[in-house]
Amino acid sequence: MTASLNRRPPELAALVPQSSKRDLNQADICLEVQNLDLYYGDKQALRGVNLRIARHQVTAFIGPSGCGKSTLLRCFNRMNDLVDGVRVDGRILMNGSDINARGVDVAALRRRVGMVFQKPNPLPKSIYENVAYGLRLQGINSRRLLDEVVERSLRGAALWDEVKDRLNDSALGLSGGQQQRLVIARAIAIEPEVLLLDEPASALDPISTLKIEELIYELKGNYTILIVTHNMQQAARVSDYTAFMYLGEMVEYDDTNTLFTNPAKQQTEDYVTGRYG
Amino acid sequence: MNSSLPSTAVSSSISARYTRLRHTKDTLARYVIGIGGVSVIVAVLLIAFYLFYVVLPLFVPARIHSQGTYPMPGGVGVTSFLTVDEQNEIAVRVKEDGRVVFFRVADGVVTGEQKLTWPTGSTVTSVASAPSGYFALGLSNGSALFFTIEFAVSYPGGAAPPVAGDGTRVHHSITPNLAYPLGEAPLVVDEKGQALQHLALGVEEGNPTLVATTADQRLVGVGFSREENLMGDVQVNRTAFTLPQEGHEGADYLLLSTAQKSLYAIALDGRVVVYDVPPNGAGMAREQRKLTQSGVGVSAAELLLGGVSLLVGGTDGSLAQWFPVRSANNIQQLTHIRDFAPLPGAVQRIIPAHRMKGFIAMDGSGQLGLYHATAHRTLLRKKVMSGVPALVTLSPRGDGAMWQEEGSNNLLVYKVVNEYPEISWSSLWEKVWYEGRSAPAYLWQSSAETNDFEPKMSLVPLTLGTLKAAFFAMLVAVPLGILGAMYTAYFMAPQMRTFVKPTIEIMGAMPTVILGFLAGLWLAPLMEQNLPGIILLLVSLPLAIFLAAWAWSRLPQKIRVRIPEGWEAALLVPVVIGTGVVAFELSEPLEVLLFDGDVRYWLTSHGIPFNQRNSLVVGIAMGFAVAPPIFSIAEDAIFAVPRHLTLGSLALGGTPWQTMMRVVLLTASPGIFSAVMIGLGRAVGETMIMLMATGNTPILNFNIFEGFRALSANIAVEMPEAELNSTHYRVLFLTALVLFLFTFILNTIAEVVRQRLRRRYSSL
Repeated sequence: MTASLNRRPPELAALVPQSSKRDLNQADICLEVQNLDLYYGDKQALRGVNLRIARHQVTAFIGPSGCGKSTLLRCFNRMNDLVDGVRVDGRILMNGSDINARGVDVAALRRRVGMVFQKPNPLPKSIYENVAYGLRLQGINSRRLLDEVVERSLRGAALWDEVKDRLNDSALGLSGGQQQRLVIARAIAIEPEVLLLDEPASALDPISTLKIEELIYELKGNYTILIVTHNMQQAARVSDYTAFMYLGEMVEYDDTNTLFTNPAKQQTEDYVTGRYG
Repeated sequence: MNSSLPSTAVSSSISARYTRLRHTKDTLARYVIGIGGVSVIVAVLLIAFYLFYVVLPLFVPARIHSQGTYPMPGGVGVTSFLTVDEQNEIAVRVKEDGRVVFFRVADGVVTGEQKLTWPTGSTVTSVASAPSGYFALGLSNGSALFFTIEFAVSYPGGAAPPVAGDGTRVHHSITPNLAYPLGEAPLVVDEKGQALQHLALGVEEGNPTLVATTADQRLVGVGFSREENLMGDVQVNRTAFTLPQEGHEGADYLLLSTAQKSLYAIALDGRVVVYDVPPNGAGMAREQRKLTQSGVGVSAAELLLGGVSLLVGGTDGSLAQWFPVRSANNIQQLTHIRDFAPLPGAVQRIIPAHRMKGFIAMDGSGQLGLYHATAHRTLLRKKVMSGVPALVTLSPRGDGAMWQEEGSNNLLVYKVVNEYPEISWSSLWEKVWYEGRSAPAYLWQSSAETNDFEPKMSLVPLTLGTLKAAFFAMLVAVPLGILGAMYTAYFMAPQMRTFVKPTIEIMGAMPTVILGFLAGLWLAPLMEQNLPGIILLLVSLPLAIFLAAWAWSRLPQKIRVRIPEGWEAALLVPVVIGTGVVAFELSEPLEVLLFDGDVRYWLTSHGIPFNQRNSLVVGIAMGFAVAPPIFSIAEDAIFAVPRHLTLGSLALGGTPWQTMMRVVLLTASPGIFSAVMIGLGRAVGETMIMLMATGNTPILNFNIFEGFRALSANIAVEMPEAELNSTHYRVLFLTALVLFLFTFILNTIAEVVRQRLRRRYSSL
């Protein structure tokens, strides 16, 4: 029953408050998904998803492959727009306004909703320019400001000490874990409200994974973080709320502790205890 | 084999066979690929090697070596002339006493003898010769004996030549014979019967002109012309004339140029008087000047092949070339053109060659120099005697030479190997002052109707022609190709892309000969007639496209959603057609309004020459040929930019355009660079369009309204008419080598830059 908790590393277990159940009704809501349907051509990928995301908390999406969790994540910064033949019904409210409404500047939305992909994707530029890239896109070219933001972001992504002497080297020379933290630094450099992490540690070794998880914990003080993961221990370790999805539907959504220790549905329990997936 | 796996007899036997087979295939593939790769490199190297092999003889220096020495055939006595036949087999010695001795060049064996006769009592006082084997002896009675030596070649054995005594087959026999074109009687030059002290002979189409200084210091001449009437009777007209003595006592060298109708009378102190010679000239002195520096006299003077250039050898060993140059006010002025490497002592003899603009010169110490005038090249320097030359002869083909030392009765016979004297760095790549031109220039004119023509082999106009073509082609092709690739790869709807890309690639596969003749026969006249419209189109088309795009972005959303995303480009088709129609409709009114009704006249009168086959036509035609490969390769490169990079940029709030400019182009830059370089390589090597649409005039300028001649087209035009292994033939190979090096250097630079870009901007 509590298998997942037993597998949790002690120091991280202590980080997750276990005593009190979080109540979304009292939380400050950042994002709200209302009856979201999404179609790839004729194929429906999301079915009537309803969800409320608390501000400055970590929300994890878990579920088997193809359940729609990445698709759902990509709805928040409208990355699905780039896929041909996508149709979205329903609403996603960010701070009360619909991000799919006509006249919304997608580029501006994406500046406020940052995203980190599964595979580290630094640009073929120097480390410095990678972090400064988002600011340059906004037309900020002041060297002083850029220097300041680059250092702050790299420190924020716990990468500064490792790269401070080689900021002008190609970012492609960094290790996978460093690249992923660089990408996170790049994302937080433009100070988004929401950070979408799409399996950010799945391509990394355990040490790098640990660093990313610690980083997520530190970042949540300033950002609303949504994370998609295949790794249930990871979801249990880093998230405050967890949503379990299956075949495009939101099966169960609750605070992480409850979902892992006392799920309301048999399907959820089967999944989190590893009976299928 | 893994011992932990259960193994059965069947599986082990199958897997062993399969492993062997796999290994064999692997080895085979490795060798086939290896052989393929190596043979490509070998093929390219062989091509380069063959080009070098053909070109190399051009740069081999001339050589001479002795072929023997024998006593002068015909015995002791003063030699008036020594000449040899075309094949350098039979030599003819004309002695002062009138004996004409024929002997074999190889061994000096006398094969015959004839006698020149003149009135008893008179003696030979001067000699003169003219190219093509014409000779004249000036006599003490004021007349001159004009004769020629004919070499009759017969093939006695026909297809089965008889065997000579030494076992070699005699393919032909050469019979020399004296001939008198105007009869055996001496021609009267001076009607007063004074001895002819110096004689000059010029022959044009068999008609001689003779000019002589007489013992009493007059300058007299006589010209002959033959007329054939309808009955076939030949009538010889004789015109005698006297030239005024213009302030000089003696003309020590008299040189008559029939081509220029002028006589050069040169005194030992270096002064020259140039006369216009009757019957065509006025019979007046045209010009006087000094040919040498003060204190230096003239010790030898001759006319170069063609009779245009004057070669002057100084007592200080200097050698200079002069020829008349038309000055700004249309007066011919004898002009110093170039100096050749001087000889150590005073120049004693200058012998012009018969087949090239070259000559040999010898000083008083037997130091020989072999020179080429146009190439401004010293082909050879060698000391061949120890004393003063009495006689120097060069065979007509320039492959043999003979000389005799003063005081010796031995004739020294030499073989000369001097196949490609016309080529030097300066004649290929520097400005050369050609005969008859008012200034040094870069010219390409490889052949003409006459043998004494000066080949003009500057590669500069051809090389710059190629660069001009490449420049205008790239001007059209690069923006079209790369912008098209950017749109197609990044913004266009996938369904539209699957239609557009193959279409453009098929366009690239179109034979350039079709583009060439369309450009030459259809586009060039069309553009000539609608020039203002074409210019207007080139300017207004991009503007119209931008305007259409702007208007589209202003349209209400309701209308815009009707066109699926990525299909907007299709809307430009009517815009482009419409702009074209409007531009062509406006062409004529514009011509009337701005260019006085005739744009060609207007351009020409403003100092911009206009040709129908011009660089604009070539630029457009070549653009069509070059844009598809650039498009195709650049499109592949842009399309291959990993999606996670563009997504990364978009997820950071970048607009598609920002992502395109800052991420996609950067990452695709090695590929785009390759595309441009491959396009440039194609533009440089392109032949058919160059051949058919450029006009092939080897002129040197960057005027967009004039044509040019490119290296590739030049090879195509001239290779069929170049004589095998001639200088022209090898120079054409040299241009091929230049083209090869061009593309080689271009590709090497491209590859180096591409590798750097790739190291810098390659994605994961």
